[in-house]
Amino acid sequence: MPSSTMTRRFLFFVVVAILFSSCNSCRNSGKRLSDDFVIPDSLNSEKQPLEISPSVISDMVQNISSPIETAAVIKGLKVPFNKDYIANTKFSENFNTNFTKALGLGIYGCDLGYLNMYGKTSLVIDYITTVRSLADGIQVGQFFDFSTLKRLATNNENIDSLVLISQQSMTRIDTYLKENKRSNLSVVIVAGVWIEGLYLSSMVAQETKHQRMIETIGEQKEIISPLMLLMNNYKKDPNMARLIQSFEEIKSLYSEVKITSEVGEPTAVEVNGVLTIKPNDIQKIDISDETLQKIIAKVQEVRAKLLKG
Amino acid sequence: MKNKFLIFAVLFFLVGFSGTTFAQTEDELVEICGMIAKDATYLKDFKVRLDAGDPPPLQRFSVILKKDIKYRFSVCNSKDMEGKVVLELFDNNRLIATTYVIATGKDYPSIDVVCQKTGAYHLSFKFKEGKPGLAVGLLSLVETL
Repeated sequence: MPSSTMTRRFLFFVVVAILFSSCNSCRNSGKRLSDDFVIPDSLNSEKQPLEISPSVISDMVQNISSPIETAAVIKGLKVPFNKDYIANTKFSENFNTNFTKALGLGIYGCDLGYLNMYGKTSLVIDYITTVRSLADGIQVGQFFDFSTLKRLATNNENIDSLVLISQQSMTRIDTYLKENKRSNLSVVIVAGVWIEGLYLSSMVAQETKHQRMIETIGEQKEIISPLMLLMNNYKKDPNMARLIQSFEEIKSLYSEVKITSEVGEPTAVEVNGVLTIKPNDIQKIDISDETLQKIIAKVQEVRAKLLKG
Repeated sequence: MKNKFLIFAVLFFLVGFSGTTFAQTEDELVEICGMIAKDATYLKDFKVRLDAGDPPPLQRFSVILKKDIKYRFSVCNSKDMEGKVVLELFDNNRLIATTYVIATGKDYPSIDVVCQKTGAYHLSFKFKEGKPGLAVGLLSLVETL
């Protein structure tokens, strides 16, 4: 065989080898799975959502409701953990459509945050399994790091990592849905997290009568409006229209809640290289006991209805 | 001559792919940013990629912050691009906090904000001198007050 042919063949194999190794490095370089598997929306959604440009969605509120913040406030008040507050995983069987699965993902995602915050690893696995199953149901299970979460929970190790990975998985699901024109489901998840967070707060307020928890319920007046704004983008979907109607019933009760704010002059203090800023604002939340009881009853009613699927 | 061309092609692939392999991904930046945020609890990350421009282009996000919670905002720049990110937090049009204090010329990889008013706030990211850049901003929870 002539040497030039040999050289050409050798170089051909080198190029092929590099191409294979580069593909492998892509897989290991943290590249998002969504880049490899783009699932057409038409295959996933039951009804084509109203399309909103990603830039508009990005400009909308990013973290309307966070499972961690609600749980952190409750734990910060030294309120003991209560298993009865969270949704039983058996209700997940009622979630059979993409819409209800997304809603369930939000509800159980919030409960998972509550469990993680209290380090209840024995219960966590059941909720991780449920969240994973619901995420798989809307084709976003690949963003839920199930094996790592299960290992952390089983070995009762590193609660901080459990919180971090759970929260990051929810963020990745949210980002993927927005990037793939499935923002409608992203909004439904947010709505699920919000109602469950408000339910947890209402249960704690009802049992402890803690003023901070009552304020937490009252200050949702500032959050329900941007949430409804997001939801209203998809009101043509009958499922969303029904959810909006339920949330409107809660929102109407908030007209009795008075929130007044005084804007302050921000001050900054640097301690050990960390700059801490205090805006010096004052916010006052006035909510009568009657209104509080009405809101709590309505939230419990809406949440119970949603768990029926 | 043909052999020289093939050798050049191989070198091209080698250089090209080695560059791809070692470029920092956004997820790696989130991890680094998490280390900067130290023991604060991760809430949300914001990926920022902007081209060069004059005035410097901005990338904005809206966030809900809750009363009586101390939040930490951390930033992390990609080493592959020259832009150095600046995070600014606004309540309507009022600047509350920034990672770059012009008066002292000091950059802070993370800043803490004590929220005293529940509501929507605006996060704005830009790169100094309008240079192109890639960065990640991280919102985390330090403590409830």
